[in-house]
Amino acid sequence: MRNEPYTHSFRHRHLLGIAGLSRLDIEMLLDRADALAELARQAMRPEPRLAGYTVINLFFENSTRTQGSFEIAARRLGADVVNMAVQTSSVKKGETLIDTAMTLNAMKPDVIVIRHSASGAVKLLSRKVDCSVINAGDGTHEHPTQALLDALTIRRHKGTLEGLKVAICGDIMHSRVARSNAILLQQMGARVRLVGPPTLLPRGAESWGAESTHADLDEGLHDVDVVMMLRLQLERMDGAYLPSRREYFRFYGLTAQRLKRAAPDAIVMHPGPMNRGIEIESAIADGERSVITEQVEMGVAVREAVLELLVHGGQVTP
Amino acid sequence: MRTLFHNARLIDPASGHDGPGAVLVENGLIADWGEALAVSGNTATVDCNGLVLAPGLIDLRVKTGEPGEESRETLETASRAAMAGGITSMVVMPDTSPVVDDVALLEFIQRRGGDAGGARVMAAGALTQALKGEAMAEIGLMGEAGAVFFTDVDRPVRDAGVLKRAMSYAAARGAVVFSRPDTEDLSGRGVMNAGVEAARKGLSGMPHEAEWIGAARDIFLAEATGVRLVIDLASTGRTLELVSEARARGADVHATVAAFSLHFNEVDVGDYLTYCKTRPPFRQEAERLACIEAVARGEVAAVVSAHDPQPPEAKRLPFGEAEFGAAGLETLLATMTGLVADGHMDLITALRPLTSGPADLLGLPQGRLAEGAPADLTLIDVQKPWLCAREDLVSRSLNSPYDGRRLTGRAVRTVVGGRTVFGT
Repeated sequence: MRNEPYTHSFRHRHLLGIAGLSRLDIEMLLDRADALAELARQAMRPEPRLAGYTVINLFFENSTRTQGSFEIAARRLGADVVNMAVQTSSVKKGETLIDTAMTLNAMKPDVIVIRHSASGAVKLLSRKVDCSVINAGDGTHEHPTQALLDALTIRRHKGTLEGLKVAICGDIMHSRVARSNAILLQQMGARVRLVGPPTLLPRGAESWGAESTHADLDEGLHDVDVVMMLRLQLERMDGAYLPSRREYFRFYGLTAQRLKRAAPDAIVMHPGPMNRGIEIESAIADGERSVITEQVEMGVAVREAVLELLVHGGQVTP
Repeated sequence: MRTLFHNARLIDPASGHDGPGAVLVENGLIADWGEALAVSGNTATVDCNGLVLAPGLIDLRVKTGEPGEESRETLETASRAAMAGGITSMVVMPDTSPVVDDVALLEFIQRRGGDAGGARVMAAGALTQALKGEAMAEIGLMGEAGAVFFTDVDRPVRDAGVLKRAMSYAAARGAVVFSRPDTEDLSGRGVMNAGVEAARKGLSGMPHEAEWIGAARDIFLAEATGVRLVIDLASTGRTLELVSEARARGADVHATVAAFSLHFNEVDVGDYLTYCKTRPPFRQEAERLACIEAVARGEVAAVVSAHDPQPPEAKRLPFGEAEFGAAGLETLLATMTGLVADGHMDLITALRPLTSGPADLLGLPQGRLAEGAPADLTLIDVQKPWLCAREDLVSRSLNSPYDGRRLTGRAVRTVVGGRTVFGT
């Protein structure tokens, strides 16, 4: 837990992606989240710095976990939280995305947390509102709070991100988690490898900051410090991108045998929810190297830190 | 157990060797070969009487009816026909009933092929599930189980996106993809080569451009994905040019040609002879000659029998309604020795696409005279004239377009793993 005062302020109004954050911004967020996580572990409540503020959770895609995490984070800081259930709202009645944004904006919220199935949709909304916008996942583009919570989890285990070898494995092409993580990790000096079947490894993936790409999992795992498995959407396995579940598990599933390829103290991560027996063996998911539940814990702390810093800039005493 | 095959004219296309000599076989492998072999003690000898001794022939495209339509052909009857034709290794196609698109069926074929006890049987796996062209098959698992390549056989994968993903996936697993160059929108209803002959007969045609467009599409996708692609059964000169141009650009693209494309032209369809109904169809004479020239230039990796046995009930029908397909195992070699007799190419060039050509395409150890290679050998009387009569064929189905043709050159002894399985 760090107690030094911040050397600069957090000058962003929105958190739309990892791209655009400086190394200092990321460190500031991680330091603050780390402090908040320690507080939570001591069963202590943070200062209610969002008391009187209104946070709207606007999820166009269902996500019990992420929405719950944002809601808990905001409530712990004393904010009033409104969950807009999109299924029952006017969006179903044909209202356009921008109309929805304008309507919500008129209610004068302080923060809107948005998840949407279209890449770029959150950016579009952020241009139409006066409050802060947090991207909780847009299509296959970015999921910045996931990358931040992953980074915090790694940092707590490894002390630093600098120089670590990290393999991100699975459906890279359709993963916003992979994109945000690759950008953040290389920004912080880690060496990233992207591993997956060729049909799910986009061309030019190296340009997002990855050191290498691998179609062979054993090769990709060699000597890594962190193994980050991605969730495979089941519809990818109907043959269009992959032949079958069993073939995927045979070549791309993380097993105890495969994990031996990684460094002896490598940790295993997964953004959840897991497909056990497809991308990861249960023994590994529940094993001592797994930090998967800790990722969820760090999720709340990271989201508290993001809310605080967006609302108050750097003017928070750590 | 040592056997010396001596007094032979040895031809080894892999090394370019053509000269007198002998081959020493021990424990099913070639122990030594050359002009003068010192052989000691306990060795059986086979006098080759100066005939050509070549690596056993490899046929990359054989259909049987097993499983599902055993009345056409079984693995066992196909294996016997292959041995009679000098073929020591054959790859059977996955378009059986059910389709060979998973490991269990692949292993069934391998086991039954092994039981047949003659020519080596290798299996190709389906590229897409049930050959529907919609979802890729288990390319990785079948590859591990020994599938030598992946193909949807006679059906081009219509959806270019599906084909590209399957190629991309296959490339990462080091798998080879075979594809039939065809465009069903253009040739789907055709029953013979499009042209004057078809028009005169009142039959719908399969135009050249259907093959060119199919080949060009598949070649571009292979270049984009880096897969090793084999354009299967090219039948026009221009298709082979497309393949050669791609290879000159550095693409891993190759071609096979059916033996019948080198022997027949569309005029042979004659009076609606359904044995001459094949896919690809017999083309014009100019295309036949262009295919022969490509073989002579070494631009065709493999010449194949395209053996497709069909029972009488599938062929005794009006031409348009009859099944496609011709039996070919027993006439593959004679097609090539015939081209040599006609002065189109020398013998070593004619044998290359039957031996080291297909072996190199799939990375097989056989198909060459080399120490340690499997002792698969074919003894060939290259001058032997014979009359192909359907009733003399070993294959269970007798639908040979060569019926009644006079041919030159025949296998007189076939050796698999050092064991003589045909001839004496």
